[in-house]
Amino acid sequence: MDPIRRSLLGQLAKLTAGAALVPLSSVASAGINDQPPRRGGDPEKRYGMLIDLRRCIGCQACTVSCHIENAAPLGNFRTVVSQFEVEHEETGELATFMLPRLCNHCENPPCVPVCPVQATFQRQDGIVVVDSDRCVGCAYCVNACPYDARFINPRTQTADKCTFCAHRLEANLLPACVESCVGGARIIGDMRDPQSEISQLIEQHRGELMVLKPEKNTLPQVFYLGMDERFTTRPDGIKPAIWDVANQNGKEIGYEFDGH
Amino acid sequence: MNSMAIEMLVPRYGIAWYPWAVQYFFLIALSYATLWLAVPGLIFGKKAWMPTARIAMLACVSTTLVGPVALLADLHQPLRFWHFYGYPAPWSWMSLGSFILPLYLGAVVVLAWMSWRPALKARSQHDDGWFSKVAGWLSWGHWEVPRPLMVLVGLGALALSLGIMVYTGAEVAIVRARPLWHTYWLPFAFVATGFIGACGLVMLLNRISQVRNAITNRQMFSVMIGACIAMGFIALTWFLDGVNAVDGSVAMALDSIKDSEQWRNTALWGGIAGIALFVIAIILRLRERLWGWGWLVGLLALHVAWMFRWVVLMDVQTVARNSAGYHNYDMAFGSYGLMGILGTFGLWIAAILLIDLFVPWRGNEARAITDKSSSSSDISTGAPSHG
Repeated sequence: MDPIRRSLLGQLAKLTAGAALVPLSSVASAGINDQPPRRGGDPEKRYGMLIDLRRCIGCQACTVSCHIENAAPLGNFRTVVSQFEVEHEETGELATFMLPRLCNHCENPPCVPVCPVQATFQRQDGIVVVDSDRCVGCAYCVNACPYDARFINPRTQTADKCTFCAHRLEANLLPACVESCVGGARIIGDMRDPQSEISQLIEQHRGELMVLKPEKNTLPQVFYLGMDERFTTRPDGIKPAIWDVANQNGKEIGYEFDGH
Repeated sequence: MNSMAIEMLVPRYGIAWYPWAVQYFFLIALSYATLWLAVPGLIFGKKAWMPTARIAMLACVSTTLVGPVALLADLHQPLRFWHFYGYPAPWSWMSLGSFILPLYLGAVVVLAWMSWRPALKARSQHDDGWFSKVAGWLSWGHWEVPRPLMVLVGLGALALSLGIMVYTGAEVAIVRARPLWHTYWLPFAFVATGFIGACGLVMLLNRISQVRNAITNRQMFSVMIGACIAMGFIALTWFLDGVNAVDGSVAMALDSIKDSEQWRNTALWGGIAGIALFVIAIILRLRERLWGWGWLVGLLALHVAWMFRWVVLMDVQTVARNSAGYHNYDMAFGSYGLMGILGTFGLWIAAILLIDLFVPWRGNEARAITDKSSSSSDISTGAPSHG
C-alpha cells in the first residue's frame, strides 16, 4: 500500500480511549522513528491520570502548585488549565469549559524517538522524562509533541516537561497538581493494579473516557471524563480573547480581554 | 458546531527552532545542489560543464563549511554537541544526520581539494609571495591525484549528499504534530527549491567573480526551469492532496491556515515569485543576448529558496496547535534573530572571500585560455580581483 493511502487509513481509524488503553507490547526493535526500549522506573507499574472535568472549577491551583514544586521559569508551564467561554449560537446561552493540560505520557510518545541523544526517554512505568544533563537543547521534541507539553527551559537551556512529579511518586507522595486540586478532579495511579482508584474508574467509565488528539496515534495516558468531543482537538472557529498590552517601548505590561 | 468558543486563558508558546535552522537548511540545500551541478564537469569529465563545475565547487565548499556552524548555533547547548556521538540514537533522523553530516563535509572538502590541487601547484611555482607559499602548503606535495580516486571521492560525496537530502527532509516531514510539515512532499520540495537556489547562486557567483561564462548561465537556466517545473508539480500535488482529502494530514494543514490573511499573502507571494522566476528563466534561456542578466535571476532564485525555508520552518511554528489564533513571533534583534541571520551570511561571504584569496579555484584552464588571447588580467590568472 502506498504511504499516502496508509496515512489516510490511519487518519480514518481514529482511536478511541479504549484502544489507547491497550498497551503496546514492549517495542524491542527500533526502526527509524520507532520507540526505543524503555529504561528505568518500575516495570510492574504503568502510571496514568484520569481527569474528571465535572469536578474541575478552573481555579488553577494545579498550575500554581506545579509551578512552585517544579520551579518552572515564569511564563512556562508544565500544566495549565485552558478556559473557554462557550456560547450557544441560537440561544446565546453561556457556559465555561475548563481543560487541564499536561504531558499525556503517551504509550507511543512522538517526542521520544526524535531525541538525537537519548536524553528524553520513557521509563518502564510509562513516565516520559528528560535527562537535562544530556539534553543538547535541539528542541526537536518540543516541535514533535502535539500537545505543546514541552518547552525549552530558559534557565537550563534544555527541554522541560511534566514528569507526573516522579520525584514525589517515588516518595509515596501525590504529584503537586493532584495534591492541590480543590475538587479532586485529578486522579493518578498505577493502571496495572486492578485495585487502584484509577483502574476502577477506568473500568467504570470505559465508554465515556476521551483522550486529546486521538488522530495523532500517540495513545495518550491522560484520560478525560466529562469531556466534550469537540475539544479533543483544537476546536473549530475558536477565537482568542486575550491580547498583549505593550507600553510605548514595546514592553509588555499586561493583558486585555477582547471586547471588554 | 452550533456553539462558539472563546479562549479565555492560555499560556504563550514560543518557537522552538530559531532562524539558525533556516540558515542551516538553506546553506546545506545549496551545498548538496551545487555539488550535483559540479558533477557533470568534475566527475564525468564533460568539458562544457567544467566552468560551471568550478563555480559550483566554490559555492559547495563555502556552504558546506558554514552550514554546520548555523546548525550548531541552533542548539540551546552547543557545547554538548559531542553528545550526538557519545549517545547515538539510530532511530532518530537527527541522530542519523549528525553522522552523515561530518562524512559529507569531509568528502566535499577532499573532493574540492583534489580538484583545486593542479591550480594550487601551478601557483606555488610562481613568484607570488605569500600566495605562492600558501598554495604550496595547500597542495601538499608534488604527487598526482589519480583520476579514479577523484571519481571515487566524488561518487562518495554524491552518495552522502543523498543522505543529507533524505535526512533533512525526513527529519521535518515525520513531525506529525505539525500537519504543515507532515507530508511526503516536503523532502522533495526542499530538494527542488535547493536546486533553484543553487542555480541562482552559481549565476550570481559567475557574475561577481568576473568569470562571466555565458554557457554556465545557459546551463543554469535549463536546470532551474526543470527545478521550477518539479516544484510546481510538488506544490500542486500537495495542495490537491489536501483539498481532495487524499491525505488527512495535508487537509488538516490547509485547514489550519485557511482563514489567515497572512498565510494567504504568503501563498500569493510564493506563487508569484515562483511563477515569475519560471517565466523569466524561460525567456532568458531563449534569448542569448540576455544571458548576462542571469545574476539578477539568481538573486530572485536565492530569495525563493530562502523564503521557502523561512515559511516552512519559522512561520509554521507560529500556527497554534492547541490554542486559538496564531502565536506571535517577533524576530529578536540579537543572535537568536536578525544578528544570527546576518552573522551566518557574513561568515559565508568571509569563507568565499578567503577561498577566493588563497585558492585559484578558477583553474588552470582559465589561465591557459586567457594567456592565448593575450589579454592578461588578474581575474584570468586566478588571482583575486580587488578592483
